[in-house]
Amino acid sequence: MNQFGVLLKKEWRENLRNYKIFWIPAVFILLGIMEPVSNYFLPQILDSVGNLPEGTVLEFPVPEPEQVMAAIMGQYQLLGLLILVLAYMGTIAGERKSGTATLLYARPLSFSAYFISKWVMAQIIALLSVWLGFLVGYYYTYLLFGSIDIMNLLRFVFTYSLWVLLVISIVLAASAWMPNAGLAAAASLGIIIISQVVDSLLGTYWPISPLKLSVYAASWFENGPDMADFWWSAGLAVVLIAFLLLLGIFISSRKAASTKV
Amino acid sequence: MNLLEVKGLTKSYKGNLAVDRVSFALEERTATALIGPNGSGKTTTLSMIAGLLKESGGSIQRDFKSGVGFLPQYPQFFPWLSALEFTEMAAQISGVDGKKARQQSIRTLEFVGLGSAVNKKTGTFSGGMRQRLGLAQAIVHQPKLLLLDEPVSALDPTGRREIMDLLKSLQQDTTILYSTHILNDAEKMTDQLLFLKEGKLVEQGSLSEVKSRYAEPRIRLRFETEQAAARFEDRKLWPMNRDRNVIALPLSGEGPTMQQVLAVLANEESGIAGVDRQSASLEEIFLKVAGNK
Repeated sequence: MNQFGVLLKKEWRENLRNYKIFWIPAVFILLGIMEPVSNYFLPQILDSVGNLPEGTVLEFPVPEPEQVMAAIMGQYQLLGLLILVLAYMGTIAGERKSGTATLLYARPLSFSAYFISKWVMAQIIALLSVWLGFLVGYYYTYLLFGSIDIMNLLRFVFTYSLWVLLVISIVLAASAWMPNAGLAAAASLGIIIISQVVDSLLGTYWPISPLKLSVYAASWFENGPDMADFWWSAGLAVVLIAFLLLLGIFISSRKAASTKV
Repeated sequence: MNLLEVKGLTKSYKGNLAVDRVSFALEERTATALIGPNGSGKTTTLSMIAGLLKESGGSIQRDFKSGVGFLPQYPQFFPWLSALEFTEMAAQISGVDGKKARQQSIRTLEFVGLGSAVNKKTGTFSGGMRQRLGLAQAIVHQPKLLLLDEPVSALDPTGRREIMDLLKSLQQDTTILYSTHILNDAEKMTDQLLFLKEGKLVEQGSLSEVKSRYAEPRIRLRFETEQAAARFEDRKLWPMNRDRNVIALPLSGEGPTMQQVLAVLANEESGIAGVDRQSASLEEIFLKVAGNK
C-alpha cells in the first residue's frame, strides 16, 4: 500500500477509536433536530416556562420550512464550527507536541501524504456530520412545517458544504503552523470569526467572497444568489482551499523538526 | 567500509552551539557508543543523523538506501493502535509492502518479546513494553543503521540485560549507534567510543584505545594482614600507595614491571594474598573526561 493509503487507514482508526466518527455527527444531528422541534413547540415552551402574565396572547407566525433549514445552518455557523475546530485543532500540532509524530518523521515520510490523509479524513467526518444533520433536520422540518423544493435544498447543502471544506482547511493549516492545539484553535477561530465580522460589516462593497457562502446558501431558498457573484465566490473558495492544502503540506514539513524527541 | 560519515556536524540554536564540529565515521556492522554528560549534545547528534533535525553546518554522508531505524529516548505511540498495527504502519511507511510488512512485524514483535501482546493497545503498555515496542518499530524494516537514544536507561536490570542481548544479536547485520549513560553497557557492547562534552567530540577510539590513554594501570597487591602490607611499604622499593592491607603500584613513570614485582614477592615471606593488574574503568574515564578539559 502506498503511504497515503497507510496514513489514511491510521487516521480512520484514530477517528473511529476516539469516537470522533460518532460524536461529531451526533452533535450535528442533535442541532438539526432541535431547531425545527423547538420552533414548533415555541408557544408551548413559552407557556410553561415563560412566567408570562395571565391572559398574555402571543401570536407567532409559523416559519416557512426554508427558514427553519436556514436556522439550522445558523446553529452550525456558531456551535457546529466551534465543535469542528475543537475536534481537529490538535491534528498535527498535537502529534508534534506529544512526540507521537517523531516516529513517523524519522521515516522517509511524504508530507503530502501525511497532510492530505488528515485533511481527507477530517473533511469526510465534517461533511458527513453536516449532511446527516441537515438530512435529519429536514426530516423533522418536513413533518412539522412542510416540504422544500429538493433542488433548492441540494443547492443549499452543497453551497454550505463548500464553506465547511474551507473551514476544515483553515483548521488543519493552523494546526500545522501552530506549536500546540490550543493556539491552533485560537488562530482558526480568530481567522474565521474576525473575517466574518469584517465581511458582514463592510462586505456590501465586495459581493465576491467565500465568507458569503453561507449567505448565498440560504439565498437559494429565495430568489437565489447573483450567479456571477456566487460562482466567483465558490471559485475563490476552491482556490483558497487548494492554497491552504499546499500551505499545510509545506508548513508541516518545515516544522517537522519541532516534534518532541 | 564506512556506512556513515559525519564531518564537522554543527547545530546551533539562536547562537548556542548544541553540537560543535563533530566528525566521526561508522564502519559497517559495528556498535558505537555515544557517551557524555547530560546536555552534551547526544540526542541532538542522533536527531540530525535520523533526519529529524536539520544540521546548521557540516555534512552527513550515508552510504546506504535501506534507511535508518530510530528509537527516541521516550518513544511515544498512538495509544489507540495495537502493537501490531503500529509496527505494521511503521514498516509500510518505510517502504515495506503490505503482506511482508505484517509478517515482518509479527516476527519482530516476537523477537523483542512482545509476542503475546501484539493485539494489545499501546496505550496500556508498561515502560518496559514501550521500550521493546520502540525497538521493534526501529528494526522492523531491517535498516542498515540503527540509532538508539538511551535504549535501556528506562529499564530495570533484567530488562536492560535482555535488550542489550537483543542488540548484540542484531549486530551481525546492523550498524548501531547508541547513546547511553550506563557505562557498564557501553563497556559490554562497543567497537568505538564517542565522548561528547558540551557539544564537542572530546574523545574517540576503540574501548581499549581510550582506556590505554586514560588508564594509569596499576599493580594491586593484597596482603594477608595490614602489618605485612605496612612492612612492604616501609621498604620503599617503588612509589606506592597503601590502603589498609592493599598496596597499589603505579606502572607508569618510575613504577616497576610486573616481573620485578613478582621477583621481589617470590624471594621472601611477604604474606601476600593476591596480585592483580588493574586498568581504569570506563566510569573513571568518564569522570575524568567530563571533569577536565
